[in-house]
Amino acid sequence: MVEKAGVNVEELLELLVKNAAAELTTFYYYTILHANLIGLEGEGVKVIAETARIEDRNHFEALVPRIYELGGKLPDDMKVFHDMSACPPARLPKDLSDVKAILKVLVEAERCAVRGYTHICNITAGKDHRTYALASAILNEEIEHESWFSEFLGEGPSGHFMRQGETSPFVSKFMR
Amino acid sequence: MQRFTKKELALYNGEDGAPAYIAYDGNVYDVSNSFLWQTGRHQVRHSAGVDYTGGLDQAPHGSDLLERLPVVGILVDED
Repeated sequence: MVEKAGVNVEELLELLVKNAAAELTTFYYYTILHANLIGLEGEGVKVIAETARIEDRNHFEALVPRIYELGGKLPDDMKVFHDMSACPPARLPKDLSDVKAILKVLVEAERCAVRGYTHICNITAGKDHRTYALASAILNEEIEHESWFSEFLGEGPSGHFMRQGETSPFVSKFMR
Repeated sequence: MQRFTKKELALYNGEDGAPAYIAYDGNVYDVSNSFLWQTGRHQVRHSAGVDYTGGLDQAPHGSDLLERLPVVGILVDED
């Protein structure tokens, strides 16, 4: 049905798997970044880094069922999965005490994700409603993550609020 | 600065160990070392060796991202 609607399913699946890889690897790298957000400056960023970390893992878990529904699968090899990520690894900067450098890594990772899900929304809009709804939900959360980090970098107010209550307000409906 | 025609640019597609170059607005950029252009492919549907002037309008990002890439030449007309 999705193919009939004009979506290249093979291409879409590759994008979904690559973005799922980006989410899981980001969860891993954010865990290390989070651990290094210490001291007077770092502790202030820790809370949003932790929310983004958990929500990125949620994005991975929400993407997986759709990949299999569409006839795709995840690679057998974790290393292959890591290396095919849609976004570069969010590695720690050389100077671990440089909170601004850590924030730059975080904001770049989020911006890459925003571009990736915008792309998926663009190719599924009006054609593959389920993938579009999922990608759109993830996109909403990635935009919020990006805004939190960019504010800390002094790029101006975003107008976004911090999470109140549960994580993943947009994506959680795909995880029930 | 090296000069590339579109036909020459097409050889730099990142396949079989070839460097990966793309063109935009008259400049030729080397994307060989970009994580986002591994094996000369970007976001599954875009290939290296292509002039993306005009095509970039469809992308979910602006040309500012190209500023991070090394310029290796200019794109010229055939002949």
